[in-house]
Amino acid sequence: MRKPADPVRRGLDVFVDAAPQPQRSGLRLLMALGRRPRGRRLLARVHAVDQLANGLLSMGRYEDPANAVPLGWDADAIAARGRALRRTEGRP
Amino acid sequence: MNGRGRVARVRTIDADVCVIGAGAGGAVTAAELAEGGMRVVVLEQGPRHDADRFSARPLEMLARLYRDGGQTTTLGTPPILLPLGRGLGGTTLVNSGTCFRTPSAVLERWRTEFGLEALADEAALEPCFARVEAALSIQEVTPELAGANAAVARRGAEALGWSHGFLKRNARGCVGSGVCAFGCPASAKQHVGITYVPRAEAAGAQVIAGADVRRVLVARGEARGVEARLFAGGRLEVRAPRVVVAAGTIHTPLLLARSGLGRESGELGHNLALHPATGAFALMDEVVDMARGVPQSFYVDEFAAEGIMFEGVAGPPSYTAMALPLSGRRHAEAMARYRRLAMFGLMVSDGSRGAVRALAGRPVIRYELQEEDVARFRRGLARMEELFRAAGAREVYLPLPHGVEPHRARARDLKLMAFHPLGTARADARPAHGVVDGDLQLHGVRGVHVADGSVVPSSLGVNPQLTIMALATRLAFGLLGQDVPQTHEEIPCPS
Repeated sequence: MRKPADPVRRGLDVFVDAAPQPQRSGLRLLMALGRRPRGRRLLARVHAVDQLANGLLSMGRYEDPANAVPLGWDADAIAARGRALRRTEGRP
Repeated sequence: MNGRGRVARVRTIDADVCVIGAGAGGAVTAAELAEGGMRVVVLEQGPRHDADRFSARPLEMLARLYRDGGQTTTLGTPPILLPLGRGLGGTTLVNSGTCFRTPSAVLERWRTEFGLEALADEAALEPCFARVEAALSIQEVTPELAGANAAVARRGAEALGWSHGFLKRNARGCVGSGVCAFGCPASAKQHVGITYVPRAEAAGAQVIAGADVRRVLVARGEARGVEARLFAGGRLEVRAPRVVVAAGTIHTPLLLARSGLGRESGELGHNLALHPATGAFALMDEVVDMARGVPQSFYVDEFAAEGIMFEGVAGPPSYTAMALPLSGRRHAEAMARYRRLAMFGLMVSDGSRGAVRALAGRPVIRYELQEEDVARFRRGLARMEELFRAAGAREVYLPLPHGVEPHRARARDLKLMAFHPLGTARADARPAHGVVDGDLQLHGVRGVHVADGSVVPSSLGVNPQLTIMALATRLAFGLLGQDVPQTHEEIPCPS
């Protein structure tokens, strides 16, 4: 049985799904390669592709509060502060 | 009848003006026309966004607020990421909010090269700029709100004696959430979706989201209206003697082309300028926390005459992780020191020109970075390193492959993004050289106007939203047959 995707992986999937074809298929391939040691060695041979795969996967990693909050970024707190300001000050 | 033998529902609306697109150009035109007493219908392809759903998470918001998840890319060397906003507000919903008036030298070029004497009349544009600035609460960022990331660049610029300053932005009650590009959770950024669109609606305009305009209707050389497909189902026909196309620089030429309009000069879809840009990072001794404060709050314009402009850029860890020009262990080590990372952007006023055309209904954008612009990036990146070193950086991470020095960079080495597409339906007084005339009306067609970045005939060298809005204001008052009023105080928005 397949394990259900974790929230970070799901977020990345939503992001990649929003891309137009044929980029979408290319990004999926890059992510699949980037998640495997042998694939990463392959990607490392082409700088631009390596950067793209690494950037994509690390974007997902650092969107995770478990990684972002220790770096001083609490997205939930920022969003909650914004919501509170809009309510109290009648902003749209 | 459709293919299954059912009659497709067609709704018809009569209006004085149909505006296509609710971004910088469309929303401004619609509000001014509606307030001037015209019956206005606005058709916007994207949705209405609810600020309650702005999560301050870049990955999630890119998928929601941007066309193609922010992954629109040019074909050419190098490929350039071209994120475009989608929905009420257009790209103003997701830009940094930076506002510059059109530089005088650019207006002079419009007059001499494109014959746009009236359009580029600085004195005549003054009330247009003032009116937009009042409507959007445009003001300079304070040093406190700018944050430590701007302080790093300021320290470097002061040490080097380079010209610099704090940027003006369309924001009110900003608390420095740090996510202007991902939906302001505090609704501090005064994007047109929360300013001009409500004004248009309050004045009686019908604003219809989820309307995909298929064709501008013209008969005997005059505008007749617009045909659209509604994502909710059914079709819509707006019958109007005036149509204002403001679908954005990438999509306006595609709509005009499939309507059989604007092609006589051969310039439609061509002359695409982008202001290609990149970002560099520096490791500082102090805590920077780059996402605290206004991400784009400070500029260095010492080299603006060369077409090189430095502007602030910053973001939360996930954004930084995506943009950081490192990989493997070096990337992980730099991210572990995220709180001490500073970031700054470099934008080039490009001489390169691209083109957009449709393939299977989607835009294909071609853009080759020419040598003169590669040279600007070489010089700009070298100076960016100088700026960071002067500010006390321990390490500088330039957006180049490991071991490539700025002066040796080739086009394919550059990691670029662009945020300011312009020029694909450019204004030119001569019908053989431009798509619209100095009144932003299509050459040879009465009643079809264009009011977005596509009419801007050259690179600006600065962020274009204020230029687009001022031109839209001028167009609206032109259609009303009135002078643009002098504005001395803030224009209130309906809540």
